[in-house]
Amino acid sequence: MIAFRVEDWRAWAPGLESTADWQDWARAPHAMPDDAQAQPACGFLPALQRRRLGRLARMTLETAWPLCGEGEQLPFVFGSRHGETPQTLTLLSDIVDGQPLSPTQFGLSVHNAIAGQWSILRGQRGESAAIAGEADTFEHALLEGVLQLAAGAPSALVVVAEELPPPAYAQWIADVPFSYAVALRLGKTDATTSAGSDWRLEQARGDGATPCAWPHALDFVRALLAGENTFQHTWKARRWNWQRIR
Amino acid sequence: MNAPAHSALELEIAQLVIDTLNLEDLAAADIPPSQPLFGDGLGLDSVDALELALALQKHYDIRIASDDKDARHHFASVASLAAFVASQRAVCAD
Repeated sequence: MIAFRVEDWRAWAPGLESTADWQDWARAPHAMPDDAQAQPACGFLPALQRRRLGRLARMTLETAWPLCGEGEQLPFVFGSRHGETPQTLTLLSDIVDGQPLSPTQFGLSVHNAIAGQWSILRGQRGESAAIAGEADTFEHALLEGVLQLAAGAPSALVVVAEELPPPAYAQWIADVPFSYAVALRLGKTDATTSAGSDWRLEQARGDGATPCAWPHALDFVRALLAGENTFQHTWKARRWNWQRIR
Repeated sequence: MNAPAHSALELEIAQLVIDTLNLEDLAAADIPPSQPLFGDGLGLDSVDALELALALQKHYDIRIASDDKDARHHFASVASLAAFVASQRAVCAD
């Protein structure tokens, strides 16, 4: 069982940028049209620094950026089950075609590349982790963030981001209805800040319940905005019991 | 702005640099032919150089040996890259 404060959060999906957009979505969750092109502007970065940011990196930076103060050092957790599938497919296609690989794309073709880009662009020198789990990657990423709090950090950033995979992956990837990124700034439940909400998260034995209709991170945003106090996310043998405690 | 005029090949190379390196908000005419591409000029780095070498290979069928002592000079600016491409074309035409 873990407990943490969500001090602040941001989310992005195609057509869902402002808090008001997300409030509308939370009232009536639906799949957002995703043309695989629309991406956040990341206007806080000069063009030269945006040149190596893929779409998933932009989504990650756009949501995480305002949650970290100027000059603040925060542990960073990047969670993504599938990673940058369009770039992966491009590299694999080049190999099949006998074409040389783009040095830039090859250099960024590791799961922690986006965490590295965050570190460079924000001058972050502390702990950073990149994890990939199953459909409950969101809960595992939060566990990693809470472990950073337990290790002494006053706050930690957790970003879970997925990109709509290219059609070639349709047969294998069923849990990304549209691209999205959710960034949470976690704090301790006894922190002096009064902003945000406190949550208890407990893992129990799954009972074969139906998987969540939405990616877990998006369903959390929905519950957060809908003022829901308890809900469950079940994946295989793992049932995650969520409870709002403040 | 009284930037020196680009030749057609220089504009083409400048556009190749922009497209290859994903330089948003820049137009070919915005890169002065003699501006250094690396370091204090446009601000490109060594990974960009590798990427540009690959683009030259794909677009102009020019191969630059990794031990080519002149590579640094060829990659100095849009003007020097254009001169290099033109000279390679001349060699091929002979």
